[in-house]
Amino acid sequence: MKYFFSDWYYLSIRNIKQIWRPLLALIPSLFIPVFFFAVNAVSLSAFSKVPGFPNVSYKDFIAPVAIFTAIFFSAGNAGIELVQDISSGYFKKLIIMPINRLTIVLGKLAEVAVQSILQGLIVLVLLFAVGVHFATGFLGVLAMFAMLILFAMAWSCIGMIAALRTQNARLVQSMFTLVFPFLYLTTSQSPKNLLPATFATIATYNPVTYIIEGTRALVLNGWGADAIWQGFLVAGVLFVAMVTFTLYSFNKTMK
Amino acid sequence: MNTIIEVKDLYKEYPGGTKAVQGVSFEVQRGEFFGFLGPNGAGKSTTMNMLVNLVKKTSGSIKIDGFSIDTDADEIYKRVGFAMQEVGLDETATAREMLQLHGRLYHMKPAEIEEQIKSLLKLVELEKVADRYASTYSGGMRRRFDLALSLIHKPSVLFLDEPTTGLDPHARQLIWSHLRELNKQGMTIFLTTHFMEEAEELCDRIAIMDGGKIVTEGTVEQLLKKHKAKNLEEVFLKTTGSNIANEEVNLKASDPYTRNR
Repeated sequence: MKYFFSDWYYLSIRNIKQIWRPLLALIPSLFIPVFFFAVNAVSLSAFSKVPGFPNVSYKDFIAPVAIFTAIFFSAGNAGIELVQDISSGYFKKLIIMPINRLTIVLGKLAEVAVQSILQGLIVLVLLFAVGVHFATGFLGVLAMFAMLILFAMAWSCIGMIAALRTQNARLVQSMFTLVFPFLYLTTSQSPKNLLPATFATIATYNPVTYIIEGTRALVLNGWGADAIWQGFLVAGVLFVAMVTFTLYSFNKTMK
Repeated sequence: MNTIIEVKDLYKEYPGGTKAVQGVSFEVQRGEFFGFLGPNGAGKSTTMNMLVNLVKKTSGSIKIDGFSIDTDADEIYKRVGFAMQEVGLDETATAREMLQLHGRLYHMKPAEIEEQIKSLLKLVELEKVADRYASTYSGGMRRRFDLALSLIHKPSVLFLDEPTTGLDPHARQLIWSHLRELNKQGMTIFLTTHFMEEAEELCDRIAIMDGGKIVTEGTVEQLLKKHKAKNLEEVFLKTTGSNIANEEVNLKASDPYTRNR
């Protein structure tokens, strides 16, 4: 325990450096959310005139989804990097060091958090540039990032668990495709009251819905909305559960 | 000399019933260069992985420098270096960065880390490329750097799993000279290899393993005499059945990080 925080710090720094090595690797996870935002904001703008749609522009409605997507996409990297470490044998070097294994997992999560902030900030600047307004102001931006980072760290654990349990790069990489059902079977594109009944039911049970609704409330509604605490609650529960499962998988890997 | 590695009645049975190691016992003395030979799937890597706790043993006891793997794994980690068969490097980091990170994770003082980095880079002749990314290194450079990485915390025992596989004769000679130098300085070295000439050249004492058991043990001279052989290769061929049928299943079962790939 004496060296827990210093070990965590050094492992985090090692992982954080991987974010921009190589720099080009950052581009796809930035390009895709901006692309989706631009396409959706233009092609679906008329959707905001449909009866039942909240009294906001479609651009503002979908803005938090753009930031969420940027973070969602990049959260998968932790699993890919972990499977690379396992395949190369570097992971073995780490686990025969006199360090707490939790610091290896937390070091990966620190990378996810930093990458989420960096990518989220870039998309946020673009959103401000096209006139998106935050109802909760600067504190709302901070709250949104806190919620999204918690969720990103929880989501990144899926890739890490797959890496630890299968050691298969192709499988871990393919976990990326899970983003799409989890993102689109929500209220990301449309409010729940305008979704078909089955779709709305699925969205109710999809935890991502609560993160999107929580961040959307911070952009559109202000601090009073229940969706905000619900979003934090879902992100927090997912974070604790997924980190616990990751550590369990970590220990299971040792036979 | 006194005993630094003490292994008694070691067994490993993997889930699924593969018996990779069956009652292995041996001792390695401090400062000794110990060779651990055997055909593929004999249980060498499993044994070595159990010695550093990368694979959990089924039964038996392992003590390194007086510490038990069951109760003092962290103390053992501080005392052992391990250069594995697969050269595990962080491709996105430079040699210097990796050495610094490992020094910090072994909780060394900053000045001590810098001093050790300087001396190790000199030892493995990589001073000029220390600030280049590991991904740019040739096979020989990677092996030499991996050796340096396993030595950063000045371990008492160095485990080497086939350290010269895939290297050309020049690179192999260079690694041998580094290993001789380390052994001369008092480091205990535990080597597994498939190259008989490597074992003959470097090792003070050799154990040969087959089918999960040690089938013979001694100095090169003792082994040649005991098995009436002209060279170590002949001893190897006489003592091992080279059970190819078991080879693949044992290899797959032996590595916790590649078995499902």
